[in-house]
Amino acid sequence: MRDDMVLPVEQATVRPALRPTSRIADLAWSALQQVLPVLGVLLALLALWEGSKLLLAIPDSRLPHVVDVISVLFTRTQGGEGPLLLVRMLQNAWATFGVALGGFVFGGVLGFLLALLFTQLRVLELSLMPYVIGSQTVPILAIAPMVVVGLGQLGAPGWVAKAIVAAYLTFFPVTIGMLRGLRAATPEAVALMHSYAANRAQIFFKLRLPASLPYLFTSLKIAATASVIGAIVAELPAGSQFGIGVVIIQAAQFYNSRPPVLFAAILVAGSIGLVFYGLVVLAERLIVGPRAREV
Amino acid sequence: MITPGYEAPTLAPSAPAAATDSAVIVEQVSKMYQSNAGPVTALHEVSLTIGRGEFIALIGPSGCGKSTLMRLIGDLDQVTKGSITVKGKTPRQARIDREYGIVFQSPVLYDWRTVRKNVELPLEVMGHPANERRDRARAMLQTVGLRDFENAFPWQLSGGMQQRVAIARALVFEPSILMMDEPFGALDEMTRERLQAELLKVWGGSESDTTVVFVTHSISEAVFLSDRVVVMSPRPGRIETVIPIDLPRPRNKKTREMPGFFHLITQVRDSLRES
Repeated sequence: MRDDMVLPVEQATVRPALRPTSRIADLAWSALQQVLPVLGVLLALLALWEGSKLLLAIPDSRLPHVVDVISVLFTRTQGGEGPLLLVRMLQNAWATFGVALGGFVFGGVLGFLLALLFTQLRVLELSLMPYVIGSQTVPILAIAPMVVVGLGQLGAPGWVAKAIVAAYLTFFPVTIGMLRGLRAATPEAVALMHSYAANRAQIFFKLRLPASLPYLFTSLKIAATASVIGAIVAELPAGSQFGIGVVIIQAAQFYNSRPPVLFAAILVAGSIGLVFYGLVVLAERLIVGPRAREV
Repeated sequence: MITPGYEAPTLAPSAPAAATDSAVIVEQVSKMYQSNAGPVTALHEVSLTIGRGEFIALIGPSGCGKSTLMRLIGDLDQVTKGSITVKGKTPRQARIDREYGIVFQSPVLYDWRTVRKNVELPLEVMGHPANERRDRARAMLQTVGLRDFENAFPWQLSGGMQQRVAIARALVFEPSILMMDEPFGALDEMTRERLQAELLKVWGGSESDTTVVFVTHSISEAVFLSDRVVVMSPRPGRIETVIPIDLPRPRNKKTREMPGFFHLITQVRDSLRES
């Protein structure tokens, strides 16, 4: 082996890196490019909403004006004495977010471990996989009260019981995604590791795990929104005092007198999932790095 | 091998090295696979001795078992019958002793690692300290002309550059046997010829201690690179003939214009046709 020899290189075809001079301008431009289409769709939706109200003559009791939905968020609760409805809803949303996060973590860890176990022992995958799939075909609405009430009687804190319901929806996409991800390394990439006489732990941490990350984050994005749904469903059974699920139930009860409140609650509930999804995307950018934009 | 009408130059490489100095001894090796259509014989009673520092090319049509033979030598697969000795050891022991550097047809770079981190990978697995890894990887990248790209990611490089990184990674821990499975098969002709010349420089020519087993489909590539071309034929996979390539080293652009070069290409082509 001669180390002193410099060999000629063909003309480099490296894509230009971010030019440091215009980096901030680039970022601002790319942010604008992302925001503009979203705003466009928002405007279209608003036009559709108000347009169909106008054309089909839908009364306010069935479909309130968008302005009314927004403005009801800024009315005071408790007969004008309490905080803004928006603040109350956000407090409840925050509680739901906490439950969803708990479920996301429980379910994520469980899903990851299941996938790990399945890839290590094929027998386990063959024997348990039908039940894992079966678990997702059972309506969550039927299971949530049993779990929440049952665990409550056993003395578990309310949020734990609710988080478990959220985890029930969360673990599944993670298991499926990670099963695929942990098998994503090509036979040649594995053969390469064998040729270095790498041990099992090295093959896992230096190859299989990093190769699985794009799959993991795809699963986690699905899991993030699913865990919010799970948390809201878990709040529906009687006994809950807090959470956007409770707000939705209450708003539904008073729908005839104040329709905009339910729409406002739905709006807030939807934004929890959006925020959660955004956090996962952020984590993906940080952990997977420049590859995240490629895959 | 009879080479009528062609006189061997004086710089001819030594004939198959004596058994004591051989890197790889393949004795009566057969390899059977189970397929849906019943057992398939991939290799049938193949014997071959490869000398230390020798550059061997395995050539033959698809299904002749050339890749299988390479994989058996490299302990990526096990023989059904016969035996393989690598530096006096079993292939398994040789693998554990990190005697093999491997380059596949696709570069198989880990795309979450930078170019330098990819080259460091084997050293990392082998437990070398971080600063030593960095220095050795940089030196190796310098050798293949990619020192300026150490912080690039694999997907930012061209196919030829990616394969250079793969070669740097295979050689960075100085394995005694370099195994290449159609490494330039996916590259265009120009890049391919340039990388062939570079490979010979990196390998070190006739003084090199590194044994190379090079699997290829290309006749000119086999002749240009190797000391001996092993011509294989399919159904069942076996060695048809071994053709010594007595072209002088170092080989370069001029080698491709020598009458002997064309003569040997014809000879290899004829034996492939016979098989």
